[in-house]
Amino acid sequence: MIDFEEELNHYKPSLEIDQVEDAIGKSDLTDMTDIMMDLIKERKE
Amino acid sequence: MDYAKRCQRIANGYYNQGLEKAKIRDLTGAAECLKKSLHFNKYQTDARNLLGLIYYEMGETGESLVQWVISMNLQPEGNRAEVYLREIQGKRGKLEAENQNIRKYNQALYQAQTGSDDLAILLLGRVVDFNPHFVKAHLVLALLHMGHGDYTKAGKSLQKVLQIDKNHPKALWYMSIVKANTGRAEVEKKKMDTAFSHRQMQDDDVILPPTYKETTGWLTIINIAAGLLLGAAVIWFLVMPALERELNHRHNQELNRVLEQVNQKNMELDSLREQLAAAETDRDSVMSDLQAMQADEEGVVRQYQRLVVMLKAREAGDMNTVAVTYTDLDGSLITDPDMAAIVEEIRSYMETEGYQVLANLGNEARDAGNQDSALGYYQKSLAVKGDNPQVIYDMALIYQARDEKDTANQLFGQVIMNYSGTELAALAKEARGY
Repeated sequence: MIDFEEELNHYKPSLEIDQVEDAIGKSDLTDMTDIMMDLIKERKE
Repeated sequence: MDYAKRCQRIANGYYNQGLEKAKIRDLTGAAECLKKSLHFNKYQTDARNLLGLIYYEMGETGESLVQWVISMNLQPEGNRAEVYLREIQGKRGKLEAENQNIRKYNQALYQAQTGSDDLAILLLGRVVDFNPHFVKAHLVLALLHMGHGDYTKAGKSLQKVLQIDKNHPKALWYMSIVKANTGRAEVEKKKMDTAFSHRQMQDDDVILPPTYKETTGWLTIINIAAGLLLGAAVIWFLVMPALERELNHRHNQELNRVLEQVNQKNMELDSLREQLAAAETDRDSVMSDLQAMQADEEGVVRQYQRLVVMLKAREAGDMNTVAVTYTDLDGSLITDPDMAAIVEEIRSYMETEGYQVLANLGNEARDAGNQDSALGYYQKSLAVKGDNPQVIYDMALIYQARDEKDTANQLFGQVIMNYSGTELAALAKEARGY
């Protein structure tokens, strides 16, 4: 059976429009390619 | 192989999976694939744009803007995200209205998490009215309804979520609970069992109609009576008219056949009558001819008999018999040349002497008081020789004596006119009273 209170707490507020700019700034755009390139670079050093 | 290219290939693979799932409206699954694609290659623009489109479809306008703005930053030229951003920002007030709706959802979520469920339900109702694709709002609303035991309303909200995102995990989970609490799960289970439990029928299987019920007692009697009435009605309204039509048809056919026979017999009878009439006509004609022939034969024979009588009388010197018999003779029937010559000889005698014999016989009969006989002889005498005023005068006297004045005057007139100047003419005038 569902735990109503616990289930309800799982929901997070939706991103508002005026928060978009902050969200973009906080976005981590690092992808696997970046990681691999960093690893290759560190190994070379 | 180059690690960068390998990552790009993996990213492309995830993008393709995400695209396929998006096409079948597995939006949550598609979003996961697209996120993975971007983890391997942040420059996979199509994956990012599609992820933004999925967020927008699920009512997460803020999240979609984040993805499209990043997409434009990473690829400023030839980017589809530019179209999406222009579409959202192009209409004045639309973006602000959507922002207000998102805020309202956040407020409702806060109210729900702080125990103000009724207020939260009220706000969420308005949120989904404004944006029916706001999946998260539908889910919270469904959860609140479930918390209040209102599973039907919860089911409606979840149904809308599943129409937007067919495989949304939370929606499917909530829906299973709703079905379990409304009995819907049992119904669907039976339907599934029925749908997949078909087997080939055996010979001894009996199919019972869905409306079949065991009936007993009065209900059975009523059913039987209703059946009898229905059967009687069917016979009366359907069978009887058909039988009546059939009988009428047969009778008409029989009547037509009899009438045809009668007509044929009448025609035969008329024909026979005509044949009979023709036969009778022929018979009469034949009889007439036969009688005529007999008469002719008798006449010829009689003429020859008369001729024999006259010859015998002449030999015996009995000229009276010769004269009387001659008046009855038809000389034309005697065709034998020898006999005809004898007839001609007698005719010559009669025209010179024999007519006077007849007149004398008439005088004797007159004197004997037999006027009819006298008139008969006078007429025979005139038939042999008409130019005989004495005989005409004597006949006129007899008619005058019998008071037959018209005939007598006619005869006197003949004597006066034809033999004027004679003694007889003068006597005739005197007899007429001139």
